[in-house]
Amino acid sequence: MRRSFRLAIPTFLSALLVASMLAGGGAATAAGTGMAPYDPTHAGGTVTLVAAAAAGSLDPKINYTAEYWELYQASYDGLLGFKYGDGKSSFEIVPDLATALPVMSNGGKTLTFTLRSGIKFSNGAPLTVADVKASFERIFKVSSPTAGSFYNGIVGADACLKVPATCKLDKGVVVDPKKSSIVINLVAPDETITSKLAVPHAVINPASAPVKDAGTTPIPTTGPYMFKSYDPNKLLVMVRNPYFKEWSHDAQPQGYPAEIDYKFGVTPTAQVTAVENNQANWVYDPIPADRLNEIGTKYASQVHVNSLTAMWYLPMNTNLAPFNNVKARQAVNYAIDRAAMVKIFGGSQLAAPVCSFLPPSFPGHVDYCGYTKGATPDKPAKAWAAPDLALAKSLVKQSGTAGQAVGIVVSDDDVNKQMGVYLQSVLNSIGYKATVKPISGNIQFTYIQNTKNKVQISVSQWYQDYPAASDFLNVLLGCASFTPNSDSSINMAGYCNKPFDAQMQKAMGFGITNPAAGNTLWGQLDQQVMKDAPVAVAFTPKQLDFVSSGTKNYHFSLQYKMFISQLQTK
Amino acid sequence: MIAFIGRRFSAMIFVLVSISILVFLIFFATPGVDPAARIAGRNADQQTLMQVRHSFELDKPLPVRYLSMMRHLFISRDLTSYVNRGAKVIPQLSQAIPATLSLVIGAAIIWLLFGITFGVLAASSKRKWLDPTISFLGIVGVSLPVFWLGEVVNLVTQSKLHTSVFRWVPPLGYVGLSVNPWQWFLHLIFPWLTLAVLYAGIYVRVLRSEILVVMSEDYIKTERAKGASEKRILYKHATRMSLITIVSLFGLDFGALVGGYALLTEVVFGIQGVGKLTFDSLQNFDLPVIMATVMYASFFVVFMNAVVDVLYAVLDPRVRRA
Amino acid sequence: MALKENSEAIFSESPGKIALRTLRKDKRALFSLAILGFIVAISLLAPIYSHFIAHTDPFNSTLDATTTIGGKVVPVLEPSTTGLGLGVTPIGPTWNLRGYFLGADGQGRDVLARLLYGGRNTLFIGLSAGIICIVLALLIGVVAGYRKGWIDAVLSRLLDVIWAFPVYLLAISLSVVLLTSGLTIGFIHIGPGSFALPIFIIGIVYIPYVARPIRAQVLALREREFVRAAVGIGAKDSTIIFREILPNIVPSILVFIPIIVALCMLTESALSFLSIGVQPPQASWGTIINDGLALLYTRPLVGIAPGLLIVLTAASLNLYGDAVRDALDPKTRARGDA
Repeated sequence: MRRSFRLAIPTFLSALLVASMLAGGGAATAAGTGMAPYDPTHAGGTVTLVAAAAAGSLDPKINYTAEYWELYQASYDGLLGFKYGDGKSSFEIVPDLATALPVMSNGGKTLTFTLRSGIKFSNGAPLTVADVKASFERIFKVSSPTAGSFYNGIVGADACLKVPATCKLDKGVVVDPKKSSIVINLVAPDETITSKLAVPHAVINPASAPVKDAGTTPIPTTGPYMFKSYDPNKLLVMVRNPYFKEWSHDAQPQGYPAEIDYKFGVTPTAQVTAVENNQANWVYDPIPADRLNEIGTKYASQVHVNSLTAMWYLPMNTNLAPFNNVKARQAVNYAIDRAAMVKIFGGSQLAAPVCSFLPPSFPGHVDYCGYTKGATPDKPAKAWAAPDLALAKSLVKQSGTAGQAVGIVVSDDDVNKQMGVYLQSVLNSIGYKATVKPISGNIQFTYIQNTKNKVQISVSQWYQDYPAASDFLNVLLGCASFTPNSDSSINMAGYCNKPFDAQMQKAMGFGITNPAAGNTLWGQLDQQVMKDAPVAVAFTPKQLDFVSSGTKNYHFSLQYKMFISQLQTK
Repeated sequence: MIAFIGRRFSAMIFVLVSISILVFLIFFATPGVDPAARIAGRNADQQTLMQVRHSFELDKPLPVRYLSMMRHLFISRDLTSYVNRGAKVIPQLSQAIPATLSLVIGAAIIWLLFGITFGVLAASSKRKWLDPTISFLGIVGVSLPVFWLGEVVNLVTQSKLHTSVFRWVPPLGYVGLSVNPWQWFLHLIFPWLTLAVLYAGIYVRVLRSEILVVMSEDYIKTERAKGASEKRILYKHATRMSLITIVSLFGLDFGALVGGYALLTEVVFGIQGVGKLTFDSLQNFDLPVIMATVMYASFFVVFMNAVVDVLYAVLDPRVRRA
Repeated sequence: MALKENSEAIFSESPGKIALRTLRKDKRALFSLAILGFIVAISLLAPIYSHFIAHTDPFNSTLDATTTIGGKVVPVLEPSTTGLGLGVTPIGPTWNLRGYFLGADGQGRDVLARLLYGGRNTLFIGLSAGIICIVLALLIGVVAGYRKGWIDAVLSRLLDVIWAFPVYLLAISLSVVLLTSGLTIGFIHIGPGSFALPIFIIGIVYIPYVARPIRAQVLALREREFVRAAVGIGAKDSTIIFREILPNIVPSILVFIPIIVALCMLTESALSFLSIGVQPPQASWGTIINDGLALLYTRPLVGIAPGLLIVLTAASLNLYGDAVRDALDPKTRARGDA
């Protein structure tokens, strides 16, 4: 998986944002409102998607990749879902298999749902509340990646995490078949719980689904499409679910294609060629650098570019020389030419230089840059303009780390390797002896997390889970995310600053009661932590989708990217 | 003779076992390959990580893990991938074999055709310019990096000239023979040619020099003295004798290629054969698949080696005592 | 021993001298040596070119560099200005030796300068790996063939293991180890990014290719009268090996050297294609091909030029190998009779 797989999980916060935008009525970028009504004249045909590699297990409780979450949107449903709509509206949470948004009681600790009636799984079995309870227990039984981070707040989850095999959520998920009601009990109020219930790990599977990772065996779906066959080396086939009837146009509208084929094992450049020649409808992998100009000129009408709230950044190990010295880390921040890195990524249309931790248009984001020519972390400029090599050199000298060896660990795909080579050049020019260490993209992400591997600096990416500042600052720089000697230690800088951590807890507390105050605090925390420079942020990337000339009705979801079920080929 | 064959084949088993152990040890000695965190998913909490490690037996000692993997691979035959969980390894391998066979057999026909024709021509032609020309082409053939040639072929047929001369060339990939024979042929024609270039070069060179060696043997001189025609000597004796070398060479090459040594060609042309499977599993650090493909490949290589050795022993009794 | 002298006595000159004389007259040998000489010379002159002619540092990224073409200053990496303005394209060939003769790569570096420096590494790796391979193969082949018995059995199985072993797995695994921490075996320490890794792996891979025929040759030689005679008069093993066996396998070795070096070069490029081997910012022809593949559609020359150089060098080596073989082996020379 070359492309980073972080996904978006909006919270109440984004719902509030949308609400305020709509209420204010002054939103110039008219937040879209759902899909146009279904038009049967465009139904039919096969949509062919191409990718270099499959994304592993097809089990929706296991898979945690953007590649398949895009497909689950059109096939599986949870009690709640993300709205089919353009722009910010795609972050809106709507009732899906539940009849309405949950009724909150008990100080936000109890959520009550009513299940829709008359829905059947793609194997013909009716959907019942028993399936709902079994699906929540299944999260723990199959050791879902987010079992411990998203669903640990359900009553009884702690026991399930310890002994998954015998997981029972009798107190956490209480169902009543007569009333079709589902009551979810939480240990503590959680402002992000509705988001967590809307993502694929919380979808409803039949109670008969295997209590282990189903792997390549498809599990019956509820949405307009079901999985017919899956061979990770060749092909994934989705066909219409014969039992599907549209129950909510916002949550799960009828789809257009009669069949969706996902072909694997096609190199990115061959994917582009296939789409140009109308042999496929869409390219999954990032477009190779040498094809960008071609598709931007000859096929401009088939290109869709959308902003992402994400960053490319350089985590620096704050526990290892030379980057255990704050001056050395600041030197890197001053030295990197962010415009040059944007060039490597594909030019200014596909990325923008930044040096704040929170991406532009993200809650809490403040336009500032402490590491550009003529600015300091205490007197930041508005935006990044140019690197300051002279200052970087003198900082390295002051730090006394000049002449030290620095290893840069990058993925071995072309763009990441180029970033590494560029970075090496920069580090050498400010007084280090740098080497690039490109390693397979499949292990780089876990490799750079483990302190055993003594990684000094690396190139990594982060895509939002949900638009809340805590997902960037607390997840990536919080003490809780740092576990020495573990491959799962997302705080790659190993940065643990107790007072800063306490401030972040305070900001998260504001999130429930006073989001505006919370975001102001996050903005200050961003600037505060960047004075310490545990990382260097390089740029914020954009999503480029390239579709074939016959592919119409392209819509982009901030949550799951392209709406595959809405593509029209007729 | 039976004893020799017995010894040769028990040695073969020894080699296969050593390779499997080496692969296993090298894999787990590589830093950063521990699959647990990759299986568990990003930012998984430490408890989930432990459960995954336990369910994949990654918390057991190495010898136990090795034996368990071998049991799943050879006895219960239900070994599953670390990366595409639930994907059984053996069906993946058996599904990849037809593509590899299609590629290798087609290429072999081409290279044998060219290799033998031009090899004999080079060794026998009366035309002064023919031998140096063929020899030169042979040298170029063996000097081309296959993956580079493949990429250049792709550049020309898929892009630069795709709108004119090569309009008929389908996208990269593989279409099964039973699915559509004509598409099968079109998809494979350039991979065949690319792979065949190297081997045609080798076979031309080997055959040419073998024929020349045989032609200078005493018995040929005797034949010639007896008044046999040059044509008869060339085809009846020299070519036939030289073909023995070609056949044994072919055995080794074919075994290696069927085993997945056409890796680079398969990768460049996107053919989902054994080589591509090996390549992908190496990229993914997917040990179960690596192990299966390596065992499969080494079996073919070692087996063909043993067969060729036995054949030589049949032909030359001195070897048997060695 | 007398018997061996006897065989030489047929000729008035030693076979070595005859071979050398034949080789000197062989047009193929002269031609290929000329090409090889040229390639080695320009590779060695790489610093001269980059410092004094092109004034460029081929190991330093210059993403914002500019150059002058026809009096106009243009950026070396030019962002697209047409259509949606997607992508950044390095400058193409200027065909001007003063800079970017063959264009720039994705880091704005002069491709020609990198090709020249890369040639040094490719040739060095090919030659070193070839020598390691032949020395080890000679050792294994001679010991196995001469000692016979269980030593032969063990060594032969070792060759089988090497032959059937998945090279790429070894290469990928070792490169992760090496890249990250370096490798220490006894007193030898291989630092990160060292050339020792590609040299070592490539050298090992082709050992069976050379060792097997040598072993067979030694086995056959051991049965020959002059060796038996030497054993009979109680000569020491080392004497027999150095005085009777080795001189007789020298011709095979001489034939193998150019072929193996060519093979090693080709393998180096294949390993670089898989991102194993020479590490950035260092270059070899293989890594430049790999860089060039990312530019194949916009600047195909970056990938094609090093490939052509590899073909040219490997073909010259093979051609030279042919000439050496023909000179050493009178049988194949007998072609004139056919």
